[in-house]
Amino acid sequence: MTGTKTSHAVTTTAATGPEPGAPALLVDGLSVRFATAGRVVTALLGVDLRLAAGETMVVAGESGSGKSVLAAAVLRNLPGNATASGTVWVRGEELSSLPPAAQRRFRRRHVAYIPQSPATALNPVRRVGSLLMELARARGLTGPAATAALESALGALDLDFHDVARRYPHQLSGGMQQRVLNAVAMVGEPALVIADEPTSGLDPDLVEATAAGLSKLAERGAGLLVITHDLRLARRLGGRLALLYGSHLVESRPTERFFDAPAHPYGRGLLAAMPEHGGVPIPGQPPELTALPEGCPFQPRCPVRIDACDGPMPEPVPVAGDAPAPGWVRCYRHHRGGGDA
Amino acid sequence: MLSAEQVTVRYGRGRQRITAVAGASLALAPGQRLGLTGPSGSGKSTLAQVLALLRAPDGGRVRLDGQVVTGAGLGVPRQLRRRVQLVWQSPRAAVDPRLRLDRVVREPLIAHGEPPEAHSRLLAEVTEAVGLTRELLTRYPHEVSDGQLQRAALARALVLRPQYLICDEPTAMLDVSTQASLLAALADRQQAGGAGILLITHDRVLADHWCDEVRDIRDLSLRAQPGPVRV
Amino acid sequence: MPVGAAVAAGVLAVLVLGALIGPVLRPARVDLDRVYAAPSLAHPMGADGSGRDLLAMVLSAMRVSLVISVLAAAVAVAVGVTIGAVAGILGRWADALTMRFIDFMASQNHFLFAILLVVLFRPVLGGQGAVLLSVGLTHWTTVARIIRSELLSLRTRPFIAAAIGGGAGRWRLFRRHLLPHLAPATITAMILLVPHAIFHESGLSFLGLGLPAHRASLGNMLADSQHAIYAGAWWTVLYPGLVIFALAASVGTLGEWLRDRTQPRWRSELQL
Repeated sequence: MTGTKTSHAVTTTAATGPEPGAPALLVDGLSVRFATAGRVVTALLGVDLRLAAGETMVVAGESGSGKSVLAAAVLRNLPGNATASGTVWVRGEELSSLPPAAQRRFRRRHVAYIPQSPATALNPVRRVGSLLMELARARGLTGPAATAALESALGALDLDFHDVARRYPHQLSGGMQQRVLNAVAMVGEPALVIADEPTSGLDPDLVEATAAGLSKLAERGAGLLVITHDLRLARRLGGRLALLYGSHLVESRPTERFFDAPAHPYGRGLLAAMPEHGGVPIPGQPPELTALPEGCPFQPRCPVRIDACDGPMPEPVPVAGDAPAPGWVRCYRHHRGGGDA
Repeated sequence: MLSAEQVTVRYGRGRQRITAVAGASLALAPGQRLGLTGPSGSGKSTLAQVLALLRAPDGGRVRLDGQVVTGAGLGVPRQLRRRVQLVWQSPRAAVDPRLRLDRVVREPLIAHGEPPEAHSRLLAEVTEAVGLTRELLTRYPHEVSDGQLQRAALARALVLRPQYLICDEPTAMLDVSTQASLLAALADRQQAGGAGILLITHDRVLADHWCDEVRDIRDLSLRAQPGPVRV
Repeated sequence: MPVGAAVAAGVLAVLVLGALIGPVLRPARVDLDRVYAAPSLAHPMGADGSGRDLLAMVLSAMRVSLVISVLAAAVAVAVGVTIGAVAGILGRWADALTMRFIDFMASQNHFLFAILLVVLFRPVLGGQGAVLLSVGLTHWTTVARIIRSELLSLRTRPFIAAAIGGGAGRWRLFRRHLLPHLAPATITAMILLVPHAIFHESGLSFLGLGLPAHRASLGNMLADSQHAIYAGAWWTVLYPGLVIFALAASVGTLGEWLRDRTQPRWRSELQL
């Protein structure tokens, strides 16, 4: 009905362990639905993602687009009323094929999660040092190895481990708390780092501190998945940008290329809505996830819609001229015969 | 004119005492769009609550069209309170989770004893202006997105036709398109009603783009450093 | 619904149904030919010292005990909500005064206090009214504490300030914005009080301070069976005791389930 692949790929990697050179994150045909009070909320529909080690990918979308569900789905941390289909591999390992305890262990060891608010993520009654040591232990590091890893991670963000360790969270400024959380994510060199709205409500200085920390993570070889509504953060981080709209990924491009020339009409609308580009809102309302339109979810608001848009969700097509990596867009305007928008 | 004169606010007691706002002065004129920027923890939200007559300053005073307002919250006469409205940063926290959205917007009308026959008209007017559909109004807060809830919170503030509107980072949690649409609705209402709007934001670009004048909270006081100082 | 709560609901449903229709289906008659008859097919719980069928007695006693416990819990909740609301809304000296009074009450042995109240009220209200009032007046403190702390935390929430900014007065604020948020805590507190009230009713009746001896309550039955136990009639103690336990445990389990369910943070599982 929507033209997305409904993938139930049988994986062989689970049995053989992580294959060398496996991507940090591979998502194939991920769909998530929630049953709430008689309604079905379709939060994600046929989402495909590929994130190599050392690569940065920003998933951007508006509130209510389903983007916050993505992190939970990748971490297999969805609430009980959710059903997910599709496959997620982290570092070549399919999490759903592992027993629950092994899943938790794998997640603690190989995946770092940077939460939204640093103030609530740090336990206020414990010294930072004890929190850090606990996290290091979860990543399989103890004793001198843990101290060394923490020293190196905090050092990379211009923090002195021994100075930070003896303080309580409230004795650190907001910027330092943020950097501590970023540093924590580095410890033990996790394969995948997921940051969910890491800059929500932060002032520009803190945003910059956060962005710098996140970039460091990618430099050290982690696959970095950032979920945000903040387009300026996306631009600052570079890498790759994926746009989520109405539960679908509609465009995935090298970030720089996106800001030069967004391919999807929704992407163009978002850029025009930025204050520096005039702050013109996209007319209409985002679709309800309980009543997604057939086919392209943006089509009812689209200023350049054509007759073909009544059809099923368009397949991804490559965007000409994208470098270094190819980008794609799901829009009939880019299909053969659709005419360039 | 809504003005803060030498406003000082402190939190806590004794050794824990923190000065959140130190002698800040600021004036908002009818029809003006004034931007207020500054780093996190510099007292912007506290000053917003003082200007919205919800928190009494520890020093200095607030003047509303020449009249000095003493007290805060329930201590301020209803007729004064309605002239200044506040839009909060997080609609999740600022909207009663047990009320349906239409009730959220209608509540100030009931509290002020507006004639019931006028409610539906005022409600329809203001909710259309902020872009809320009739169907959305029948939902509870947990059934709508942040953007939709913030629209309802904005409608609640506008339904009383305030002379002054304090917006405390109203779009910090929202994507650019929702932000633009919310601010466009706000601009439209302002042109119709001539309210003075104080827009508090981290986003210097947004403030420059949307406001007639932008001030930094660090420049509002005569003393040098009004930021939070831990004693 | 978890298994435990479902089982509790089933047990409670059977007990309540039995209490409602049991006395009609199985009236208790005095029959001196079967004094202290042991359990048999015709009389599955045996008979008591007047030869009355114990099952029939338990059913009607359960009805009396349940009604009194629910009413007593209601009294406790009414008093507790009122006092907690006064403390939580007026604050300052009213709050301090109330809290010290609650501390004083909590430091006393509340069963002794209940006995004192029964002795005081019995001449005026009769046995039933006295038990009701005494259990109610000794159990409101926990409710008052819960309500007060809920109110104190609610008052700091931005939506309360937003309502004030919208023009709400003190009364409107309480009725429209605070009271609805207290409902779940209040209902749960009341349900959790019911098993407690059952114990107290039984305890007071056992001591001969509760219901008049001719009204079969679970406590009265236990008191009567004191003598029967010497005669080897264990069933007169076992079955009323089991019923007290089953009632208290099933109501308690259901109340705890309800409490967890009405915590809003559990309810809004999905935040898009």
